Amino acid sequence: MLFPQVGRRQPALRIAWWLVVAFLCLGITLHLFPFYFMLVTSFKSGEEVLAFPPTWWPHEGTLAGWRLVVSLVQGSNSAAARLMDGPFWMFFLNSVQITFWVLVLGIPITSLAAYANSKLQRGPLARWSFLFFIGTLMMPAALTLIPNYLLTRNFPFALPSVPGIPGTDLEFPSVRIWDTHWAVILPIVFQAFNFLLFKGFFDTIPDSVIQAARVDGGSEFNIFRRIVLPMSVPVYAVAIWTAFSGAWDQFLWPLVVLQSPEKMPASVEIYLLLQRFTQAGATNADQASAQAQQMQDILSAGMSWNGLMVLGILQSLPVFIAFIVCREYLLRGIRLRGLK
Amino acid sequence: MTERQVVTEDVPTADAAGGRAPDKPAPRLSRRRRLEGVLFVIPAFLFQLSWGWYPLVMAFVISLTNARFRGPVEFTGLESYQRLWSDPLVGQAFKVTAIYAALSIGLTFMIPILVAILLMEMPRRHIRWMMLLWFLPLSGIASTLLFRYMFNAQYGLFQWIATEVLHLPPQPFLNSSDQVLFWLVFPGILFFGPGLIYMATLQGIPASYYEAAEIEGAGFWRKVWTISLPRLRPVISMLLIFAVIGSSQAFEFPLIMTGGAPGGASRTVVMYLYDLLRGLRYADATALGVYLFLVTMALVIIQRRFFREDPDR
Repeated sequence: MLFPQVGRRQPALRIAWWLVVAFLCLGITLHLFPFYFMLVTSFKSGEEVLAFPPTWWPHEGTLAGWRLVVSLVQGSNSAAARLMDGPFWMFFLNSVQITFWVLVLGIPITSLAAYANSKLQRGPLARWSFLFFIGTLMMPAALTLIPNYLLTRNFPFALPSVPGIPGTDLEFPSVRIWDTHWAVILPIVFQAFNFLLFKGFFDTIPDSVIQAARVDGGSEFNIFRRIVLPMSVPVYAVAIWTAFSGAWDQFLWPLVVLQSPEKMPASVEIYLLLQRFTQAGATNADQASAQAQQMQDILSAGMSWNGLMVLGILQSLPVFIAFIVCREYLLRGIRLRGLK
Repeated sequence: MTERQVVTEDVPTADAAGGRAPDKPAPRLSRRRRLEGVLFVIPAFLFQLSWGWYPLVMAFVISLTNARFRGPVEFTGLESYQRLWSDPLVGQAFKVTAIYAALSIGLTFMIPILVAILLMEMPRRHIRWMMLLWFLPLSGIASTLLFRYMFNAQYGLFQWIATEVLHLPPQPFLNSSDQVLFWLVFPGILFFGPGLIYMATLQGIPASYYEAAEIEGAGFWRKVWTISLPRLRPVISMLLIFAVIGSSQAFEFPLIMTGGAPGGASRTVVMYLYDLLRGLRYADATALGVYLFLVTMALVIIQRRFFREDPDR
């Protein structure tokens, strides 16, 4: 609507219009290129990914990278087996499990609180509880990293060790969830940004709708379930999408609170693999051309950028699918009005 | 794909109408309903308290102690702060983070706004696929992997562009302490998320505003300046705060791309904090977090002070 509705056929306007179109299409091309390059690289051979100049198309297409993911722990390739902690699907399942619980616990808890804040609380109470819920959004998470980490070690105490009960040798009771998936899940169950999303959406639902249902005598929970929920599908889609991609992409926090290799989510495991590949020289062009037997083993097992790209593609796939599934609702579900 | 259009016209434009629709003072809720309301809030309240506010308070407490991996915890006052103050690595980390944040906000913050405004100009049936393709996400770790590959100084794609296309001498890219921060920010120009939020807000602006402006003789940029941007202002303000907070906490991308190399030229504050944590210096790490908190809070307060949010005032 920025372009005038009348007089569209003027040459100057038409040129400007096509320039905008060209700009947008150029952006789309540039944006899609990384996706293309990832896919192509995953089908290249170990030598080809390290070749300069880079190839635009796999000259000798191979599935070595993809095979790495499917059959890693067959023991046939000792150099390869030493670098991985286990089959990749295990880490993938860890990510699925963590994300599943974040969504199942987080979305209802967050949305109910936002609904109550939007429609059931009034006056100063509503204001203060709103600030209580979104206040942490404006604090850097780095500040709470250490206390949260200590909390996972000795649950009610954010201290390096549990204090003793005065006058006795006993310690206060505490729970250790460190190095379990719960340590990753629980801190992000309540997500302040989703609270903001839900609140923004529920605020646009007219009070009269809910008032009418009250007159009909439903309990608040039934009103929420029968009337508000069906109206709010778009915002749930958006919130699920943000919670999903947030939980799936988590990196720093699992790196801090998980230690056992078999509990790592895929995002962290890919990083650890990259470190090991780099140390083993599988991403080094000089070493690769030195033709050492072990290096040939590693490269033929797809343990270079081609294998890493396969892992990256697999890791992106759920985010991708969630985006496509939620696409219908993304624009309709966002009704943010800032932090006020 | 149905005929339903992405850009729905029937969006209740509470935003454009200036906040929520004027309510009549609703009758007071019955006791049972208020109880239900409390039950709705309790789980979120507990989670936000135990994993949000309680650790925040404890952060300040821990930073004043000598907390390490084992051993009794004693209050040592500002000792950790003083130790960090005289630590040259801290100063370097803050400098790196400041440059990184400034570059990242300067180069990447405006683009999604512009793209969203231009995308809304496209014909209805094209908006949907263009929007999908513009904002198609890649998981963070996957894009990081890809860019690390592309930035390789020996065989990366960017090296090919530099030498074969632009005929420059071979570039060091991430190996140069002068260039490393710029190249770290560079991929962010293409990969960004908040464009969808801008588009959602833009479609809530009533068409009549633009029509009225057109009758008054306003041109393209005039409409952007006096209608689109003011209406986006609350959202821009919010996302600017998130961008400041987010970029001052850069961790994952620099860690995977460079690991702080060369010589700490890309070691951000949070990366150093993570190093301290791994060295089990809990008190020092928390104190560093408090320093970062103070800096970002100052920026956020300045921003909220000078950035007028309400478009109707």
